[in-house]
Amino acid sequence: MRPSVGAVFPFNPSTSPLRGPMKFDAVEPGIYPESVYPPYKSTVKRGPLQAPIRVRDEAAVTTNVPVSPKLILPTDLDLTRQGQGEPLGEKIVVTGRLLDEDGKPIRNSLLEVWQCNSAGRYWHKKDQHDAPLDPNFPGFGKMLTDNDGRYRFVTIKPGPYPWGNHHKAWRPAHIHFSVFGSVYAQRLVTQMYFPNDPLFDYDPIFQSIPDVAARNRLISRFSMEETVDDKMLGYEFDIVLRGRNATPMGL
Amino acid sequence: MSNLTTSQTIGPFPHEAWKWAVDATASTDNATAAIRIHGVIVDGDNTPINDGWAEAWLPDSMAAESAQALPGYRRMSTDEAGSFAFTISASQIRTGKPVAYITVFARGLLKHQFTAIFLEDDPALAQSALLEQVPAARRNTLIARKQDDGSYRWDIHMQGDNETVFFDYE
Repeated sequence: MRPSVGAVFPFNPSTSPLRGPMKFDAVEPGIYPESVYPPYKSTVKRGPLQAPIRVRDEAAVTTNVPVSPKLILPTDLDLTRQGQGEPLGEKIVVTGRLLDEDGKPIRNSLLEVWQCNSAGRYWHKKDQHDAPLDPNFPGFGKMLTDNDGRYRFVTIKPGPYPWGNHHKAWRPAHIHFSVFGSVYAQRLVTQMYFPNDPLFDYDPIFQSIPDVAARNRLISRFSMEETVDDKMLGYEFDIVLRGRNATPMGL
Repeated sequence: MSNLTTSQTIGPFPHEAWKWAVDATASTDNATAAIRIHGVIVDGDNTPINDGWAEAWLPDSMAAESAQALPGYRRMSTDEAGSFAFTISASQIRTGKPVAYITVFARGLLKHQFTAIFLEDDPALAQSALLEQVPAARRNTLIARKQDDGSYRWDIHMQGDNETVFFDYE
């Protein structure tokens, strides 16, 4: 079993935010989802119609909000320990590395995760899905990556749920990730899926990504190595953020 | 060949998970000599987006707010009217630079959007290195307008004639 992450890192607000500069190559067509993808109905009036403008800005590629490890609580890393008792469902561990485009680890980055419970219900006043809430599973956590860029958290495998986008619209099981990276322009929000989900072919959110390989990179990998004895199955999900070191080699 | 992790929508239900950072940054609203910036996020029909999010990054406020849990950062969810608001200390405003870098998230946004706010009475607006990279005809979408009460109004239009300029940083 790997050591738990997010425990102890030196924190110096006067120096830690400045890490760049990084440079951001243009993203190849098809990697990002379509801004407007009509099968996902709420994109039609919400997705920008104009292409983003490529700009240079020093602060965006050299600074980011500093996050103290003091903000991370032990229960943030174990979503099964946030209630009075054990939550229902299949306990799992999810781990992976946060990397930049050069494959270098992104250290001390904040990650937030959230998900529905094993029955497919979110801890949210507007979720009207007729499935039970689990009083022992709010379903959210946060953590910092370690010196190897690794994160690790324990949770319950989320269930699929209907979402009303169309007839028989069911989301494949997923965990939401919010990632801050080392500089502001690396910010990413995405979703991690589970292997062999029969709903992939029917889900417009998953299908909104034109590039098949990019789409499949959102699917976690079952890992016997990360599986913990008879306690929980392990899943691995590496995250590659945009950006690489802008300092030319040899300087 | 790219190995990037692509983006997916935040969906309608991040509120409970994202609340800790809203709470951690709300106290900065009590700062003295604060300038209030507020607006609404609207879709292509001018309908308010009531489940949207804006994160504000204020790099020049980071040092002054070092005692805060998340210095230089604000997280806001839009209310039922699509409104958001935050404050920045007047002493931390730098001429010619954005008053805040803004990241927008919402259900129906498959990728978050980067943008930035400038104040209309910034005397160095015409010399801004960031603003001059934006086509002149669209620069007005990045400029907050001063209100009678001293606050600044800045709306985010996801689509339409006044579609807000969104950035892709190099």
